[in-house]
Amino acid sequence: MVKRRKKFLLLIPAALAMLMVVSNGFAQVAEQIVAQAAEPGEPLQKLKLSHAAMCERVDNLTPTRPGMVFSVANGQVCCFSSFDPVPQPTLIYHRWFHRDELSTQTRLRVYPPKWSTYSVIQLRETDKGPWRVEITDQNGRVFNVLRFSIAD
Amino acid sequence: MTRFFKFLSTIRWQDLVDIIINSYILFRVYVLFHGTNAFRVLVGIASLWILQEVAASMGLILTSWAVRGITTAAAIIIIVVFRNEIRSALQVRNLKTFIWGSLIREQAAPVDVVVQTVYQMGKKRIGALLVFPGKEDLGEDIHGGIPWHGAVSAEMLLSIFWPNNPVHDGAIIIRGDQIVEVGVLLPLSQRPDLPSYYGTRHRAALGLAERSDALVVVVSEERGRVTVAKDNSLTPFSEPGELSQLIKRHLNLSDGIPANVQKRERLRLSLAAVLSFLIITGIWFGFTRSQDTIIALNVPIEYVNRPLAYEILDTSTDEARLQLYGSSVLLKSLQPGQVLVRVDLSKAVEGRNVFPITQDNIVLPPGVFLNKVQPSNIDVNLDAPVTKELPIQVDWAGKLQENMNLVKVSVTPETVKVMGGSQILEHVSTIYTAPVRLDSLAKTGSITTALVLTPPSLKLISSSNEKITVNYVVEEKPNGDKR
Repeated sequence: MVKRRKKFLLLIPAALAMLMVVSNGFAQVAEQIVAQAAEPGEPLQKLKLSHAAMCERVDNLTPTRPGMVFSVANGQVCCFSSFDPVPQPTLIYHRWFHRDELSTQTRLRVYPPKWSTYSVIQLRETDKGPWRVEITDQNGRVFNVLRFSIAD
Repeated sequence: MTRFFKFLSTIRWQDLVDIIINSYILFRVYVLFHGTNAFRVLVGIASLWILQEVAASMGLILTSWAVRGITTAAAIIIIVVFRNEIRSALQVRNLKTFIWGSLIREQAAPVDVVVQTVYQMGKKRIGALLVFPGKEDLGEDIHGGIPWHGAVSAEMLLSIFWPNNPVHDGAIIIRGDQIVEVGVLLPLSQRPDLPSYYGTRHRAALGLAERSDALVVVVSEERGRVTVAKDNSLTPFSEPGELSQLIKRHLNLSDGIPANVQKRERLRLSLAAVLSFLIITGIWFGFTRSQDTIIALNVPIEYVNRPLAYEILDTSTDEARLQLYGSSVLLKSLQPGQVLVRVDLSKAVEGRNVFPITQDNIVLPPGVFLNKVQPSNIDVNLDAPVTKELPIQVDWAGKLQENMNLVKVSVTPETVKVMGGSQILEHVSTIYTAPVRLDSLAKTGSITTALVLTPPSLKLISSSNEKITVNYVVEEKPNGDKR
C-alpha cells in the first residue's frame, strides 16, 4: 500500500511535467495564429471604422449634438469613433490638428468584436478656427478625417 | 621722397584717364565758349562758388547762405539768358569739330574774294553791307533775313547788291564759305556823334557792331568807300590787304594773323590746357583722396543667377550693413543704386547654403571703399517648387444663431492644386477659405468665398478655381436642446 502511494506520488510530477509541455505547445500554436492574423498583409478580417462624428459630448457611447461648428463656450468637443468589426485588440489614434499644427494625439484601445470609443479636448479662446481630427491606426493608416471649426 | 613714391603707386591708370578726360572737357568748354558773354558769366559763377566755399569755411553764415542762393539762381539764369550762345556753341557741323576743332576755323571763308569784290563794288558805287558774325549769337539783334545758303563768289555778291535787286538794301550774313542770309535788317546805332556823311547803312553796321562781336563791312553807295564797323568804331580801309588781314584775324584764320599774335594765341591755349589739367587734378584729389569720412549703410541684398529649379525659401537676412569710407563729398552724394550687395546663387544647391559676404559681392562706386560688412555670412535656403493637391476646408468665424446647428458642409471643388517649395508644402495639409461668417446662416444654402494661401509664397495652379462654393445645411436644434 505504501509502495503504491509512493508510485502515485512519483506520477504526479511526471503528469504535471507532461501537462506543462502540452499546454506550452498549445500556447505556441495560439501565438502563431495570432501572429499570422496580425500580419498586415494577410489579415483575417480588416479593422473597419463604421461611424465617426464630431459632437459636443458622448452619452452612453452615443454622440450627442453632432455638428460641424462648435462654440468655444461649450468648453469641450468630442471625436466619436465606432469600429465594426474589430478582429483583435488594437490601438487607434485620434490626432487633433488646429489648422495644420498637431495639437494633441489620443491613443485609444479597441476590442473585438466591435468597439466604440471617443476622445475629448477642452476648449480655450485661442482654439478658435478650423480643426481636423485624423483617425488612424498604429501604422498611420488614416481611416477618416473629420473637419470642423471652433467659433465664438 | 619715399612717401611721394608710395603716393604715386596708389594712382591707378583709371585715375589718370579720369583726370585727362575731365581736363579735356574743361579745356573744350573754354575753347568753345571763350570770348562769349556766357563764358564771362560762367567765370563769374565759378568765382561766386569759390567765394561761397571760403565764406563757409570761415564761418560767415549769412554771406555763405546769400552767395549760395545767388550761385544757384545764376546757374539757372545763365542757361535761360544765354541759351542762344550755348546752342550756337554746341550746334557744330560734325563731332570732330566739337571734340577737336575750333568753331571759327570750321570752314575758311574766301576772304580775298570778298575783299576784292568789296573794292570792286566801291569803284562801281554799289552799296553793300556784309556781316561776319563772331562767337555771339545774332538772333536777338537782326531780323527780316531771307535764308540763302549760297557759296560766296564775286558774281553772287555783285548780283545781291545790284541796285535793282529787291534785297540789295539789306545786309548779308557770311558764315564760313556761305552766304547764309540776305536782306537782313540790322539795328541802327543811336550815336549822335557820327559824321553826317555816314548814312543809314553805316548806322546799321555800327548798330550791330555795338551790340555784338560781329564785324560788319560797309561799302558806301555815294562815295564808294569801304568802312569796317567793329565794337564801337567805324574804320575806313583804303588798302585791300589791311581789310583782308582784319577779316582773317576776326575769323581766326592763321594766315591773316601776325606771328606774334599766333604765338600769343598758342600760349593762351597752352596755358588754358595746363590750368584745366591742374584744376581737374585738384578737384579729383579733393574728391577721391580725402578718405576722411566713414559712413554706415544698410543695403538690400540682391540674389542673382538663381538656378531655375529652385526657389528661395528663406534667408538669414535681407540686407547687409556696410561701413564705407572715402571722401565726404563722394559719400554724401551716394545714391541707393550705386552700392550693391550681390550674392551669386549659380552654385547653390537645394537646402541650406552659406555664402560669405566679401569685397567680391559688393559693388561700390569709384573712390568709395569698404571698411566692414555685417553679417559676414548669409544663409540662403533653396527649395524646389512642387505641385500638391490639397483639400479645402471652410474657415468659419463668428457665432451661429443660438437655436441653429450646422450639420453638414461641402465645398466645390473639394480640392485645389497649389505650387510651392517642397519643404513648405510638406507641412501644408489643407487650404483654408477666407473666414466665412456664421452669424447670417439662418437656413440651408450656399455661399461663394475665396481661398487664403498660407504662406503667401504658395501659388494656385492656373487651372485651379480661385472662387469656392460652400454648400451648408443648417438645422434647428431640437426643443430643450438649445444652448
